[in-house]
Amino acid sequence: MKILIAEDDLTTRTILRGVLVKWGYEVIAADNGKEAWERLQDPDAPQLALLDWMMPEMNGPELCQKLRAQKRPAPLYIILLTSKGDREDIIEGLEVGADEYITKPYNNEELRARIKVGQRILELQTALIQKEKLQGVLEMAGAVCHELNQPLQTVSGWAEMLLLDLSANDPHFQALKKIKEGVDRAGSLTRKIMHISQYQTKDYLGGGSRIIDLDKSTKPVEGFPG
Amino acid sequence: MEEKRILVVDDEEPIRDLFECAFTRAGYSVRTADSAEKALEIVQNTPFWVLFLDLNLPGMNGVDLCRRIRQEYPMAIPIAVTGYASLFELTDCRSAGFEDYFTKPVNLAELLDAAEQAFRKLERWKKR
Repeated sequence: MKILIAEDDLTTRTILRGVLVKWGYEVIAADNGKEAWERLQDPDAPQLALLDWMMPEMNGPELCQKLRAQKRPAPLYIILLTSKGDREDIIEGLEVGADEYITKPYNNEELRARIKVGQRILELQTALIQKEKLQGVLEMAGAVCHELNQPLQTVSGWAEMLLLDLSANDPHFQALKKIKEGVDRAGSLTRKIMHISQYQTKDYLGGGSRIIDLDKSTKPVEGFPG
Repeated sequence: MEEKRILVVDDEEPIRDLFECAFTRAGYSVRTADSAEKALEIVQNTPFWVLFLDLNLPGMNGVDLCRRIRQEYPMAIPIAVTGYASLFELTDCRSAGFEDYFTKPVNLAELLDAAEQAFRKLERWKKR
């Protein structure tokens, strides 16, 4: 997992980077608020940020506020690092959008535990967003399929009727057959999609791949053994 | 020979026309209704033993319609033809009394086959 650290003091930044790397995190460091903001605009920006309270260019609370005003593609968990143990500062930090704060000098184990809390929250948020997205897409797919199946039925049915009236030698016969085949293909596709929506509303939370595999995602028919 | 009557219930006119045309062509006598309420009115006066019902209907849905018809005519053979497979589970349809279940778009040949089987069944039951 990637973590951004924004800290202007070289010594603190180096120590912090050291412990995070030791715990297995990939660290992206910035020495001022502006640079941190830029790093957090990257397409694969870290989702967890440790921001120092006092920084040149843009301080922690300012950066926090700016980040929260932004529509971001992925959730971001912000931990403010503050040397001021002042209750009012803590309140201010949380109010401008920090999720957590830690007071310097901090205890390594406490920092590690707080980062883990952040990871847990991020995992939950990501899962929720994915679930909502997929559910919305699939509900819409189901409704669209339903609307499509009616006209597909009309086209397929009349093509079938006309085919009965034509001899195989008729020049229109082959064309109609192709129309029928095309509609049948569309029909089998809507069938697959509708079955996914059913499967989906019941149970689906797999992370990783976001591509729906139509063939693997169909639900077995209820009520049959095995 | 007794007239073989089929009732088609679907809220969409093109579908009603299509099914009516296909069943008529196969020699059946067809009535259509665009809602469950109208279908109930029709079966009050004339019993239909083979019925093709859409499930997603305005007002009363096809599953409840099927239940009502089976209560009144336990020997009736209702067949579901739905555009929205996930709206009702197949198990719900079976327990409501549907003999068979098709998802649109369905080949007319399959529906004609289902109708033929239904009438054959009715004949067999009569002669038991």
